[in-house]
Amino acid sequence: MPDGAKPVLDVRGLQTVFRTRGGDVHAVNSVSFHLEPGELLGVVGESGSGKSVTMMSLIGLLPMPPAEVREGEVLLGDMDILKISPAQLRDVRGRRIGFVFQDPMTSLNPVYNIGNQVMEPLRRHMGMNKAQAYTRAVELMELVGIPDPERRLKDYPHQFSGGMRQRVMIAIALACDPEVLIADEPTTALDVTIQAQIIELVKELRTKLGMAIVWITHDLGVIAGIADRVIVMYAGQVVEQAPVKELFANPQHPYTRALLKTIPSVTGERETRLKVIEGQPPILGAAPTACPFAPRCGHAFDRCGAENPIRRALGAGRVGYGHDVACHWDASKGAAHA
Amino acid sequence: MLDAKPSVKLVTKLVEVKDLKMYFPIHTGLFRRHTGDVKAVDGINFDIYQGETLGLVGESGCGKSTVGRALLRLYELTAGSVTIEGEDIATLEPEALRKKRPMMQMVFQDPQACLNPRMTVAQIVSEPLDEHTDWSADQKLAKVYELMDAVGLNRVFANRYPHAFSGGQRQRIGIARALALNPKFIVCDEPIAALDVSIQAQVVNLLEDLQEKLGLTYLFISHDLSMVRHIADRVAVMYLGRIAEISPREPLYADPLHPYAKALLSAVPDPDPSREATRQRIILKGDVPSPSNPPKGCNFCTRCPEVIPICREVKPELAEVRPGRFVACHLVPAQNNNAAGSTSGTTVQKHNQQGEPEQ
Ligand SMILES: Nc1ncnc2c1ncn2[C@@H]1O[C@H](COP(=O)(O)OP(=O)(O)O)[C@@H](O)[C@H]1O
Ligand SMILES: Nc1ncnc2c1ncn2[C@@H]1O[C@H](COP(=O)(O)OP(=O)(O)O)[C@@H](O)[C@H]1O
Ligand code: SF4
Ligand SMILES: [Mg+2]
Ligand SMILES: [Mg+2]
Repeated sequence: MPDGAKPVLDVRGLQTVFRTRGGDVHAVNSVSFHLEPGELLGVVGESGSGKSVTMMSLIGLLPMPPAEVREGEVLLGDMDILKISPAQLRDVRGRRIGFVFQDPMTSLNPVYNIGNQVMEPLRRHMGMNKAQAYTRAVELMELVGIPDPERRLKDYPHQFSGGMRQRVMIAIALACDPEVLIADEPTTALDVTIQAQIIELVKELRTKLGMAIVWITHDLGVIAGIADRVIVMYAGQVVEQAPVKELFANPQHPYTRALLKTIPSVTGERETRLKVIEGQPPILGAAPTACPFAPRCGHAFDRCGAENPIRRALGAGRVGYGHDVACHWDASKGAAHA
Repeated sequence: MLDAKPSVKLVTKLVEVKDLKMYFPIHTGLFRRHTGDVKAVDGINFDIYQGETLGLVGESGCGKSTVGRALLRLYELTAGSVTIEGEDIATLEPEALRKKRPMMQMVFQDPQACLNPRMTVAQIVSEPLDEHTDWSADQKLAKVYELMDAVGLNRVFANRYPHAFSGGQRQRIGIARALALNPKFIVCDEPIAALDVSIQAQVVNLLEDLQEKLGLTYLFISHDLSMVRHIADRVAVMYLGRIAEISPREPLYADPLHPYAKALLSAVPDPDPSREATRQRIILKGDVPSPSNPPKGCNFCTRCPEVIPICREVKPELAEVRPGRFVACHLVPAQNNNAAGSTSGTTVQKHNQQGEPEQ
């Protein structure tokens, strides 16, 4: 993907806060990323790092209140979708951005058969009549590898296995041929052989349909196999961004580096002892004034506790393109960043 | 250091499982008639050696937890025996079973669910002591502190309630409680599945330290094949209520013999983009059949990429096909004349070629 191709989606400075009785939760802090045509952007981070809230914020799916999207722009083409009317946003969600969530059971309606649910967006957003929508629904079911589609369209969600339900969700998400597909931990609830089936399917669909994909996961193995480029999130922030090979070969942020060392693998060298990241992620009660990783970081020095580092590009590139990191320490020099 | 252990360890059998079956009856209709069974565990055999960690892997619903619970006789077994230190716990009378309980314990996936929210950490950890000892309050408190130290929980938290702890810390509370009665054998049922990656390593290292210090034997149940490769000495791969393969860790991961073990391992994502780009993945078709109606013959025959006609007729028995490696597959036949466990390399080679046609 050439640098500077016009992004399909451009998220700038997104900030989301939950105002709860127990106090504020600064779930997303100044998150920026873009998505190039046809690319698969991996978003990786532990639970609570703000991956889902980021995506829900940008497509307006958060309950408000308690959520407040305080700042940011989300450009879909030339349109800032944080500024459009609810009706326009619904149209964008159905037609231009498709999404798939971890647990298809919560997004499928148990009382309608699958046919109804696959045909709904086609009728609503594409203006198809019943017969047209049915024909397209059968095609979509075939596209996502569901055998015997005409019969299966009459079945209800509980009659599908977890993997098959996730295929249905992908069919619905792709119904209106969206420019962007957001997949939030789509395989986390699935067994590993079923996960492999779904990943294979998505790879196939990418080459066939060419949409851009945001794939959220906490599993670095999944990211390694599927992503073109990766952003790493920690405590509501993007701490590192790089093409996938570069990220794994040359991780810069102390968190990314530690994380890559802490996970065992089935093929690589077997560690006799796992490396540990001591401590836990912070509670996001206030906007951060220090590096959120500082309490767990082996490289932290005085500046880390006094100032939240902003993302800086490695080499000559721009932040968000090439490789960038939000850290006061310079991993390549092994010293504080000048 | 850990790698050196297995060879010296496989000496004394602590647990021997023979033809274990655990069926859950299905009742249907107005009169709740017994119309069938969920064959959660359908005739399995294996041993666990003193001081080792046996990994038990397989996809959800294949019967891992049921095996773990049956081994501790949390269920009345449908058939078979579980001999722990010479006693068949499947047939122990209640009082004898009660005496046996302290030596075998369990650590669960979700510490939240099994820690009483109204009890303090000290009360939770000392509960087994209340039940099985007649110690004084002071003795029990001293033991609680000792256990908290052992699992890395600060003593000042002794009077706090579980909700005040993170997932990783709650798992430490569960481990401390399991250790209270000086057990020899611990079933760890997905102990890290609910934890974040950066916390998983903390708990796994703790389990390894405790094993070394206290000479514990583990059955480590997990669906995370990477973590099992790290922690286990030997690994049993289950599919639909049966064992497909049991092998020592290294040969299993380097060269799985059972077609299901091959597919399962090939499906695990590898956190390395260049290795991922070149890996050959075996994508299984379809879903796991229902354990109430498993296929005739080999239970993997409906999805097996290497299936041959006999698989649909005859159930393959788990047999030692190479020294220390047990496989239930018609394509991986047992070697003849290997009663002594010594085999010639050429025979192995030959079977290998027959059993693993080019893909
Ligand atoms: N409805 C909500 N009310 C309050 N806090 C929330 C709500 N939803 C999410 N959060 C908080 O926002 C943070 C980010 O959550 P999330 O984006 O779901 O993380 P991830 O998807 O990376 O696991 C977490 O600290 C979470 O507790
Ligand atoms: N108490 C029970 N009653 C009925 N069926 C059960 C019970 N426990 C487990 N099962 C069934 O037995 C099979 C094996 O379950 P389990 O041992 O929990 O698998 P795993 O731990 O490998 O995910 C599943 O089909 C499950 O639904
Ligand atoms: S900014 Fe400091 S504390 Fe944060 S990751 Fe970098 S070195 Fe560690
Ligand atoms: Mg999430
Ligand atoms: Mg289980």
